[in-house]
Amino acid sequence: MQDLETRARDAGATARPSRPSALRRAGRALTPLVWLGPSLVLITVVVLWPVVEMVRTSFQKISSSGVTLGGNGTTNYTDLFDEDDLIPVVLRTLGWVAGIVITTMVLSLAIGQLLNSRFPGRRIVRWTVIVPWAASVLMTSLIWKWMLDNYSGLVNRVLLDLHLIDEPVNWLAHPWQAMLWMMWVAVFVSLPFASFVILAGLQTIPEDVYEAARVDGAGPLRTYFGITLPLLRPSIMIASIINVINVFNSFPIIWAMTGGGPGHSTDTTTTFMYKLAFYDQNVGESGAMAVVNFVLILAMVLMYLRAARWREEVR
Amino acid sequence: MKRHLTVAIATGLTVALGVSGCGKGSSSDDGGSDGKSIKFVAAIYDSNAEPYWKALIKDFEAKNSGYKVQLEMVDWTQMDAKVKTYIQTKQAPDLLNYNSFSDFARDGLIYKASEVVSPTTLSDFTPTFVEQSKYNGDQYALPFISSARLLFYNKDLFAKAKIANPPKTWDEVKTDAEKIQKEGGATGYGLPLGPEESQAEFYSWAMNNGGGWVDASGKWAINQPANVETLNFLKGLKDAKLTQPNPETTDRKTVFNQFAQGKIGMAIGGPFTKAGFIDPVNKNLNFGVTSLPSKSGTEHNTLGVMDLLAAFKKNDGKNKEALKKFLDFLYQKENTSTFLKKEGFLPVTKSAGDALSSDPYMKQFVDALPSSKFAPTSNPAWSAVAGAVKQSLGSSVANKDPKKVLDDIQKTAEKSG
Repeated sequence: MQDLETRARDAGATARPSRPSALRRAGRALTPLVWLGPSLVLITVVVLWPVVEMVRTSFQKISSSGVTLGGNGTTNYTDLFDEDDLIPVVLRTLGWVAGIVITTMVLSLAIGQLLNSRFPGRRIVRWTVIVPWAASVLMTSLIWKWMLDNYSGLVNRVLLDLHLIDEPVNWLAHPWQAMLWMMWVAVFVSLPFASFVILAGLQTIPEDVYEAARVDGAGPLRTYFGITLPLLRPSIMIASIINVINVFNSFPIIWAMTGGGPGHSTDTTTTFMYKLAFYDQNVGESGAMAVVNFVLILAMVLMYLRAARWREEVR
Repeated sequence: MKRHLTVAIATGLTVALGVSGCGKGSSSDDGGSDGKSIKFVAAIYDSNAEPYWKALIKDFEAKNSGYKVQLEMVDWTQMDAKVKTYIQTKQAPDLLNYNSFSDFARDGLIYKASEVVSPTTLSDFTPTFVEQSKYNGDQYALPFISSARLLFYNKDLFAKAKIANPPKTWDEVKTDAEKIQKEGGATGYGLPLGPEESQAEFYSWAMNNGGGWVDASGKWAINQPANVETLNFLKGLKDAKLTQPNPETTDRKTVFNQFAQGKIGMAIGGPFTKAGFIDPVNKNLNFGVTSLPSKSGTEHNTLGVMDLLAAFKKNDGKNKEALKKFLDFLYQKENTSTFLKKEGFLPVTKSAGDALSSDPYMKQFVDALPSSKFAPTSNPAWSAVAGAVKQSLGSSVANKDPKKVLDDIQKTAEKSG
C-alpha cells in the first residue's frame, strides 16, 4: 500500500513540470479511485446491495409461493416477536457463540504455542491441524452425525466397550447433549484458523523481548502472562471476531446434525430463519429475523471491540 | 506508469463486468421466446429418475423436430428452497414436478390443466386425483404419480411371538407390539415422527380414528379431540417403550433400515418401500403388507399421496404450444407406466393402471387407492401447516403435551388462512 502511494506521488512529481491543467488536476484527484474502484464495486455489490435487499424483504408481504404482494409495514416484525420460540432461540445462539469462541480461543492458544515450538515432525503436525479446515464443514458434520448415531455410531460402540454406558445413547435426540456435541464440532472446525492466527502472532514477537525478560529473571509463567499474551492481543482479537461472526452464522453443522430439532430445541437464529422461510412459508418474517440477526452480530462485534479497547490497538 | 494504469482499469472493468454478468447470466436460459423450447424442473425420486427423463426428452425431440426441452434435476431436499427462489426471482420453469400447486394457482402463476393438455389426456386422469388437483373448482395441477400407505409387518417376528394375524385395531397393535418386544426381542412398532414426514405418519393414524386436518366444512380442525387421542395413543406406545427410542428424531429411512434387518416388527410404508428401503438391505426379508389399523377395527382408510406437474404462465402464453406437445407425449400410456415401474409409484391415469396390477406386491397398493384420503393440498395454506407439523409434531412424544402441540399448529393454520 505504502509502495503504491509513493509510486503515485512519484508519478505526480514527474508530471508537475509540464502544464498542470484543470483536467489534469481532476484526473490526479480521481487517480486513487482506480485502485479503490474494484474493491468499492465489490463491496457495493456483494455487501451493501444484499443488506439493502434483506431489509427491503423484511418489510414486504411475500406469498407462500414466493410472489411479492407489496409492502407489509412492520407486520413481519410483530409476527416475529410474537413467536414463542424467539427468545429461547436467541439466548441459545448467544450461549452457542460464547461457548464455542471461548473454548476455541483457549485451545488455539495452546495449539499455537505447540506449533511454534521446535520439535521433530513439526511440519507434519502443522499440516494435520489444517485438515479440519480444509475439509468441508458439511462433510465433517455428517461424519460426526454418523459417529453419534444411535444404532451404528462409533461413539456409542467405544463407550459401550469401555463399559462407560450400559445401552446406546441417542446423543443427537436430547437437546442438551446434542448442543454440546455440535458445539464440539464447531470448535473442531474453528480451531485451525484460530491456531494459525495465533501462530502467526507468536512469530511476530521479537526474540529480544524474551531475552530481556530472561535477563530480568522472569519465569515461564510470568513471561507468558507478562509478554506473550499482551503482545498476542491483536491476533486474539482478529481470530475471535472472525470466529464470532462465523459461529453466529453457522448453518451447516446444526442443519446436518439435528436440523434444529426436536422442535426448536437446538435451533440458533440462523436455522430458525431458514425454517421460517421454508417450513412456515413466511419469507417476509424470515427477512425480519435476518435483520435482527444482522443487528445482533453488529452489536456483539461492536461491544467486543469496545471491551477489547480496539482504538488502542489501531493507534 | 501508464501500463500500471491500464492494467488497473482493465482489472476494475473485468470485476465490474464479471459481477453484472453474474446477475444476468441466469435469465438468458429463460426458455427462449420462440415458444418452442421449454424448461422442465424434475424431482430426483431416486437415481432412476434422471436417465428416464433424458431418454424421454431425447425421444420427444426426435419425434417433434424444432422443439426443445431443457431439463434440470433437483433433489427433494432442496426442492422447496429452489422453487421459492425461482418464483421470487421471476425465473420459474415452464414445467415443474412438485407436490403442491394451490398457492401457484391462487397467485395466478400457472395454467389451468385444460389449457396445456389435450381433452384425451385430460379425461384419462383418475377422478380421485382430479379432485386433488382443483383450486376453487378448476383443475390446475396435472397428477403425475401417486402412492398409498399400508402397514408392513415382519412375518418371522410375528411367528416367533405366536401372533396369527396382523393387527386390525389399535389395541391389537399394542398387544402385538408387546409380544414382539417380549418374545421376538425386537422393537414392536417403528414410529418415524422426525421432521422428514411426520405429517404423513400422523395422518395415517388419525384418519383411522375419524380425525384429520379439516372438519366437514373444510375448516382447519387440527386440535380436534380425535387427533389429540391419536397423538396420545402414539405417545403411549413410545412411553411403554414399544417403539424405537426417540421417535421425534427418527425418519422413515432409519425405521425401514431397522425393519429390513428384522429389528422392528411393524411400520407404515408405501409401494416404494420395498425397492427403495428393504431390498437394498435385506432381499430375503419375510414380510407382509396389510391395511392400516384403525381404532375401531371396522373401517380402514389409507393415506393417499399425489405428486404433480404444474405448467407456468410465461411470455404471454407463447409456451403453451410446446407444453401441450410435451405433456401429451409424456402422458402416453407406455411413457408414464415406465416411470411408475422404475420408481415404484402408483398410476394417476386410467390407462397406466392396468399395467401395474400384474405385480402382486404393487396390486395391494393399487387396490387400496380407492379408500385413500389425502392431505388438503388444494388449500394454499397447507404447505405452511405441513411445515409446522414437520417442525413440532415430534416434540409431542418427547417432552411436550400433545394437546398443546396440536393447539399451536392449529394457531399457525388459522393464521395462514
